[in-house]
Amino acid sequence: MTSSKLRQYFENAAIPIFAVLLGLLVSSLFVLAAKSDPVQTYQRLFCEGFGPRGCQNFSDLIIFRAPAADNPAVMQSFFAPLYGVGGHPLAVVTERATILILTALSATVAFQAGLFSIGMDGQLVLGAITAAFLGYWLPNQIYALAGVGDIKGASETLVTVMHLFVPLVCLAAAMLVGAIYSFIPGYLKVKLNVNELIVTIILNSIAVSIVHYLINNPLRADFTNTARTARIDDTAWLVPFNRGLLPNVEWFDGSRVGVGIIMALVAAAAIGFYLWRTTAGYEQRMTRGSGLFARFAGVANERAALRAMLISGALSGLAGAIQIIGVERRVVDGFASAGLGFDGVLVAVLARESIVGIIIVGTFFAGLEQGAINLQFGDIPRQLGGIIIAFIILFNSMEAFFQKGLTRLRLWLRPPRTTSASNEVVV
Amino acid sequence: MPNAIEMRQIRKYFESTGVLACDNVNLMVTKGEIHALVGENGAGKTTLMSILYGLVTPDSGQILVDEKPVHIGHPNDAIQAGIGMVHQHFKLVPGFTIAENIMLGIEPNQMGFINGKAEAEAVRKLSQSFGLPVDPKLRVADISVGLQQRVEILKALQRNAQILILDEPTAVLTPQEVHELYTVIRKLAQDGRTILLITHKLLEVKDVADRVSVMRRGQMIGTHNVADVTIRDMARMMVGREVILQVEKKPAQPAEMVLKVENLLVAGMGGVPAVLGVDLEVRAGEILGVAGVTGNGQTELVEAITGMRAADAGRITMLGKDITHCTVRERREHGMAHIPEDRMVIGLNLMTNLDENVVVTHYHEPPYSTRGIFNRKPIRALAQKIIDSFQVRSARVGEGISTLSGGNLQKIVLGRELSGSPKLVIINQPTRGLDVGSIEFVHKTLIQARDAGAAILLISVELEEIFSLSDRIAVMFDGRINGVLQAEDATEQDVGLLMAGGSLEPEKVQVSL
Repeated sequence: MTSSKLRQYFENAAIPIFAVLLGLLVSSLFVLAAKSDPVQTYQRLFCEGFGPRGCQNFSDLIIFRAPAADNPAVMQSFFAPLYGVGGHPLAVVTERATILILTALSATVAFQAGLFSIGMDGQLVLGAITAAFLGYWLPNQIYALAGVGDIKGASETLVTVMHLFVPLVCLAAAMLVGAIYSFIPGYLKVKLNVNELIVTIILNSIAVSIVHYLINNPLRADFTNTARTARIDDTAWLVPFNRGLLPNVEWFDGSRVGVGIIMALVAAAAIGFYLWRTTAGYEQRMTRGSGLFARFAGVANERAALRAMLISGALSGLAGAIQIIGVERRVVDGFASAGLGFDGVLVAVLARESIVGIIIVGTFFAGLEQGAINLQFGDIPRQLGGIIIAFIILFNSMEAFFQKGLTRLRLWLRPPRTTSASNEVVV
Repeated sequence: MPNAIEMRQIRKYFESTGVLACDNVNLMVTKGEIHALVGENGAGKTTLMSILYGLVTPDSGQILVDEKPVHIGHPNDAIQAGIGMVHQHFKLVPGFTIAENIMLGIEPNQMGFINGKAEAEAVRKLSQSFGLPVDPKLRVADISVGLQQRVEILKALQRNAQILILDEPTAVLTPQEVHELYTVIRKLAQDGRTILLITHKLLEVKDVADRVSVMRRGQMIGTHNVADVTIRDMARMMVGREVILQVEKKPAQPAEMVLKVENLLVAGMGGVPAVLGVDLEVRAGEILGVAGVTGNGQTELVEAITGMRAADAGRITMLGKDITHCTVRERREHGMAHIPEDRMVIGLNLMTNLDENVVVTHYHEPPYSTRGIFNRKPIRALAQKIIDSFQVRSARVGEGISTLSGGNLQKIVLGRELSGSPKLVIINQPTRGLDVGSIEFVHKTLIQARDAGAAILLISVELEEIFSLSDRIAVMFDGRINGVLQAEDATEQDVGLLMAGGSLEPEKVQVSL
């Protein structure tokens, strides 16, 4: 790697880091207004979000500490799982990060085709409700077909087969629904040049309303205070690590992180490969901007754009399905309007559409959100987390401002030499 | 004669790009002269003039106007000091009348209400006193480019400019309009005004200027009396080496018909017909040059032939195959290459790297990709081959191209389009904005492609280019081909007349204004 490339990587990373620091600095004004101590608040925010159990201050976050001999639960470091004591908050963060990574990938695929689609939210909730419905309905149909009256009486082979087969159907169906829902704005854009941003905003509200209706009417399971769908069958469940594959790893205690994060990481690698190593990804990237370059060279612009929208929608649908069959196991009223998909757009923007960036930023965001939720158990309002995130995004979008600063810094470190005329000509 | 302008030790370094645009430059302009400032792109001539007009602040240096030091930090200071500037891209309000544009910001008014009559009257007086006739009531959107330039000049004169900077004033004009402009410039100089002409057309310098200053790579190479230097000398000073101005070419050996366009009808922006029944023929081994003033349907013609825009009627045949309704890719696979007029947006993708730019026409074929997955090695080899054989200086395999100069970018486009030995090359404004050295290279390359048997359709608004490259010349006016001439027999007057909509048959001579 050349030094100029290294510098490029450094500069790419420097801006988000500056943005985070400035965001925290400005947010501290609001912390002060809430009559709290900013340093204390941030320590708690980060300890709750990323730190080990018992984390008290910044140094606990960073410095390696062995558990105290007399009371192993008190002081663990980031490396605590090596010592096998208690669940780690990062496991919960990973659970939240899954959905952020997938929706951010979804946004990135659309952005990389020059389509500013922010329809992740609508695609996600429709994918979620599809998975919730199939996760309940499909196993029951199978039991009925197999003539099993009582679920407990089902044969072990049948249950095993269903365990492998039902989740896959749920995920595939959710991806299909997401893709179709994303195809609509893509088609309108390509054929009629309708602004995809506006269409996706409208489609998001429509999807939220549809899901709200479904939960409250045909798919309502019981008459508790909050409307909700029936719980998915156990055979549709993507069992979390601590309940299934890795029952004895305490690191995962208290979290519902599971195969979903592996799927998200595989998806990240696949999307990275698609965008940068395949001709299909190349086609969609070249249509970005005016699209004239691609048209001039003979690239099928419209097909590339539609393909991007289909992939984008499928990823958001997958995110919704994982959240349901892997984490929540049913759709509760309020899920649809939580704006889960929109956070993915922010992550994609913040990560500058880089795949590695999405994984880092997605995890960071999940931690911040987690920390902010836990903060509210103290005396600090939960909204503070939102304020900090908003400021970080604001500062991150001030790219030119930071770029100027970096240029200044570089010039100061290495002043330019003046060139002199090399080959004078005499007339 | 006293100096109208003296610029001493002007230095300007652009931090963001790391370019030293002016390296302690000195310039002296005598009162009442026409002084040309020439140099290649990026030589620093526009920066120097922007400093004089207050658009750019120099790092150091001094400016004297009428032998008195002045501080120019803003165009208003420059106007105050009697300096006016006519930009290459006019800064007029299209929806306003000529009078409104000239009086913009200095309108005669009563308590804030503009007095339209007084405005028109003032402009009429102004235009009479300088002998530059304009109708103050016409809207700028409705007048010709030449007239718009006259409005710009009047605008500067209304602000009492004694020193007039003209940035590439002839780039958009027909030959007739150029001659009118020369007359105006000479008259203004005779009245004691000083003219500073920024240009890279050396023929123009010879035609109109008294003295010439040459810049190269941010430095002032020297100032000479135009009468004492030849065009060849000036070119050598600009480029720093010997330049071949006239491309050497053997007579064409036209062979089989490659491109045949019949009665082509194409709609332009907003559905307005732009090409109204064009017939063209290009044979293998010849260059057909299409001359014409910008906006007479050339862009739409090229887009229709290359498949970027649908033809509404007519027929395009290439090597015996009807390609009227073929896609861009089908045309390219049939042997068509296209070098578009806008290399920054259409010809190249500046957001990505060199490799992805050179492979765009063949990415879907082996060896560049197999089953939809890229093979990096052959792509890098292709990029390296183009860098080597087309001398793309400062470009590197796998790196971005956004910082390359226009000449190097055009070489990349040429390299990509010509590397598959195409049978037909459509090339639109091949040297727009390029410097003398790059123009020489592009022209040589095109002649080579012709001699290798390619049919070349060249579209250019530069008459010089049309004359030095073409074997036959077609002139386009108002969406039609207004005449086709053999290059040996054609004169600049004839082509200019056809470009302005006139006719070569004596009984029908008419020049539309």
